[in-house]
Amino acid sequence: MDRKKYKKLRVVVTFFVGAIVTLAVVRNSYLLATAGVLTGMVFMILVRAKAKIRTDEREKTIQEKAANLTYAIFAPTLGIGAFLLLLPSKGGISVFRNGEWLYIESLGMVFAYLTLFLIVVYAISYNFLNRKYGGGGSEE
Amino acid sequence: MGVVVVKNKLKVYRAMHSLTQEQLADKIGVTRQTIIAIESDKYLPSLGLAFKMAKLFKVAIEDIFIYEKKGAEDED
Repeated sequence: MDRKKYKKLRVVVTFFVGAIVTLAVVRNSYLLATAGVLTGMVFMILVRAKAKIRTDEREKTIQEKAANLTYAIFAPTLGIGAFLLLLPSKGGISVFRNGEWLYIESLGMVFAYLTLFLIVVYAISYNFLNRKYGGGGSEE
Repeated sequence: MGVVVVKNKLKVYRAMHSLTQEQLADKIGVTRQTIIAIESDKYLPSLGLAFKMAKLFKVAIEDIFIYEKKGAEDED
């Protein structure tokens, strides 16, 4: 199987999994959604292994840059989102005093912890990779 | 300080060895898109890949890749 066929197959499987998840949401069945997603993932892993689709260095570079860009956009967005959601509850706005819209504050807390988690994961993986690729070694 | 530009003669060497982009890609273990990107100076290959190309064409890396400094006065 060449790369073009693999890409076409990936699109078909993605649509198939999407359809199953939609059906599962309509039927309110978590089991169906999980089974659909897992089947799709296993199928694609098997096809990829069998077809020996290679990921070359240019694609890896693109993936690295895309991941970096995603982090650079996602972390501040989530952080600012958390700040904006938590700000009114601290400002004593009436709707919050009555206990209404309490979920906004909860959502803000979730966003804040997600931001923290993202930054911690980034810092840990950065340090790990820095050590792996020879950074921070002792001088001779 | 000037801008460093690395150009290459990959297309020339590929033509000299009568190889298509697909064939060259297969020989050095990358995709055809990578060969296209290198030939059009949009992607700079790793040192490992550059060595693979040089070994395949039986030339030195400097014969395929040309290091240039643009926009700077000659400084050594």
